[in-house]
Amino acid sequence: MDAQNVDMFLFANSKYLEDYQMPVIRERMLAMDEGHWRMLQYMQFNDPVIILIISLITGPLAIDRFIIGDVGLGVAKLLTCGGLGIWVLVDWIMIMGITRRKNTEKLMMSLY
Amino acid sequence: MSLSRNHFYTYLSAACLVGYGWLLLIGRLKPEEIGTSYDVCLIHHFAHIPCPACGSTRSVLALMHGDIAGGIYWNPLGFIMFALLIALPFWIGYDLALKKETLFKFYHLFEDTLRRKWVAIPAIALILANWVWNIWKNV
Repeated sequence: MDAQNVDMFLFANSKYLEDYQMPVIRERMLAMDEGHWRMLQYMQFNDPVIILIISLITGPLAIDRFIIGDVGLGVAKLLTCGGLGIWVLVDWIMIMGITRRKNTEKLMMSLY
Repeated sequence: MSLSRNHFYTYLSAACLVGYGWLLLIGRLKPEEIGTSYDVCLIHHFAHIPCPACGSTRSVLALMHGDIAGGIYWNPLGFIMFALLIALPFWIGYDLALKKETLFKFYHLFEDTLRRKWVAIPAIALILANWVWNIWKNV
């Protein structure tokens, strides 16, 4: 793929992805053919800030976990009143990183 | 990285232990005292309304004493918790002893099934209905 397109894509989506994975993603994207470019352009990522706000407001309901795709953990969090309240507090700290990790995994899966 | 089998079983075992510890801690109280003495639910604490899972500890305790009507009254989700607390240690033990991953595969199958619209929508509707009932009962 064209280096300019790749850099533009990474610049536009850097806040959704894990920083340390950027070189690997860039390398992989550069090795891909142009046909994948259209598919990547329409890829949707979860915004870590939005997920944090959802987590702050609806923590014990586990909506944050359901949105990022952790359905099993979401059910567990919902059934336990947010892990007796502790899981909710931990997620307030961790959820932005988890969202970036999930976004990166989603992108990586489409690149391989 | 996705959750590995060993990590999954470690976290699940820890969650079961916390669950048993919680029941031991709470079990000595009367059902009426539980909601006020140990208010761990943030929604109940700050908004003063119960969450969809509030009352499930009391439901599990009622079921432990053979009180099925009490289990339904406090929270029907308690049946799921009760079943999981009984089944999971045996299931984890079975998988670890025979080096299998039946529970891990079941977890992924459960996740995939719940992502389907025709399962997710009724499940959400049931949870919401249970939540409305919880608020009405004021557990």
